[in-house]
Amino acid sequence: MAVLGIPILEDLYPSTMDMWPLEAKEFNRNWTFYENLKAGRLTTTKCKSCGHVAYPPRVICPECYSEDLEYTDLPTKGKVIIFSEEVKGVPLGFDSPLIHAVIDLGVDPARRVLTRVINCPAGTLQRGDEVQLAVFPVPALPIDKGRQGTVMSERVFFAFEPVKK
Amino acid sequence: MARNAVILAGGQSKWGVREAHIVDLFQEAAKACLDDVPNLKPKDIDGLIVATSYAGRCSFQVNTAPVIAERCGLKPTSICTRCDTLCAGGSTAIILAKGLVESGCADIVMAAGGEKLYTPQKWEVFYSELASVDHDWDGVHGMGLPPPFFALTAQEHMMHYGTKKEDLAAVSVANYNYAATNPVAQMQKALTLEEAMGAPIVVPPLTLYDCCPITDGAAACIITTEEIARKFTDRPLVYIRGTAQTCLNSVSANFPGAHLADWKHTRIAAEKAYSRAKISASDVKVAQTHDCFSISEVIEVEELGFCKKGEGGEFCRSKQIELGGKVPVNTDGGLLAVGHPFGATGIRQGTEIMKQLQGRARHQVKDADIGLTHNLSGANAEHTILVYGREPVK
Repeated sequence: MAVLGIPILEDLYPSTMDMWPLEAKEFNRNWTFYENLKAGRLTTTKCKSCGHVAYPPRVICPECYSEDLEYTDLPTKGKVIIFSEEVKGVPLGFDSPLIHAVIDLGVDPARRVLTRVINCPAGTLQRGDEVQLAVFPVPALPIDKGRQGTVMSERVFFAFEPVKK
Repeated sequence: MARNAVILAGGQSKWGVREAHIVDLFQEAAKACLDDVPNLKPKDIDGLIVATSYAGRCSFQVNTAPVIAERCGLKPTSICTRCDTLCAGGSTAIILAKGLVESGCADIVMAAGGEKLYTPQKWEVFYSELASVDHDWDGVHGMGLPPPFFALTAQEHMMHYGTKKEDLAAVSVANYNYAATNPVAQMQKALTLEEAMGAPIVVPPLTLYDCCPITDGAAACIITTEEIARKFTDRPLVYIRGTAQTCLNSVSANFPGAHLADWKHTRIAAEKAYSRAKISASDVKVAQTHDCFSISEVIEVEELGFCKKGEGGEFCRSKQIELGGKVPVNTDGGLLAVGHPFGATGIRQGTEIMKQLQGRARHQVKDADIGLTHNLSGANAEHTILVYGREPVK
């Protein structure tokens, strides 16, 4: 389908307008984070030299600059410290209600993670509520592989959702 | 002999929803700036630092400095570059210009900032705001547009310090009333407390007048040395006494304070800027702080040391931010009412402080000799402070 006003963009993918991360191995050295998400794990990188755990994951240790890192699991359940709800005027790409919460996953460096809360009707969330990791599919990344044509690389992303009481 | 940087001239285009291209807005700002000191001509300017963050996304233009230089009739021979620190871009340009003129790398630098944010279809700028914060870790959670983040900030200030909605409304009322007679402001209307309290909800507890608008506009100022400035003007000179820019995190999960209403990075920036300027908070007679939201100004007057931590709400509600108060803040109307074309804001603020210290501001603070500008940028991830004075640091 053509882009309105720009007919030359018919069937082309502009990464500069993609709201999701370029998660594929070809474009992201932290692709393992997203592979782990697909398995229901929330992970980040830990330095094998000095032991420092950093969030979000990276390719060098921000403390000692070692490149010798490994993925470590973060808890997938946490508690809502505070939250906001946007019902009207939610921006393109998100559904109403757009709920944001600062959640405590109980371990450093994830004591105050700002996340979206989904699968939660407006007016029902409360401070102190327990939430759990919710992984959902997002549109696949179309990568131009030359003669092989366009390969679709599957993607997921995450939010948190209320734990059913 | 030490070269001391001064702000010689400043001006801005009309801000608001503009039927104009970004390079039109920069031309309007450059003209307003040079009209401020008519002896100064484009040929005198040997440096240009452009501050814009959204030209790449909203105007399909990167490497903006040569484009702006050419359209504004400038032929810089010492420096011609761009900086991108979003909401702090203009202040960053002034800091860089100060360093360049004091070190002798340039003599007369124009710092010019601007954005054209209203795109032909409105969804685009809101969508592109995903790039205003860490795209892959915060933008992707819908944190690009800032009201949710500052709603959380306001809630935590209310929770920890008992701040009330009336305190936030007092900031909106003060800043709108300052801008009511400002001919280049986006919002030129007086506001009552009742109107502010009864405004439509954005993200609770924030309502319409708690949030700055989206703005098209540009601003420009001239940074040079005191010796050069004296050749062009008889006005009192306004020195850039001390500056600081502090960045301790980018992703919101690494916010440096104990909670979102505890701005450790602002305190660090203030301490450093005050130390370099050889002043203390009590010396500041007028300030332009980053009132992107009413709650921001409440927290800023605390962290900048104008009142005790937790008492910002009371400080604002008791009119200490208005003329005759302890520290009049955002005397031209601030971001809330003049608007906020990101890269232009710091230059608008610096220009207002220059006018205050020269005794020619629209809402003049009596005997103003030390003034301050402050910006936050990103997901409240960087703080930028400049201290201006009627005397150089000795």
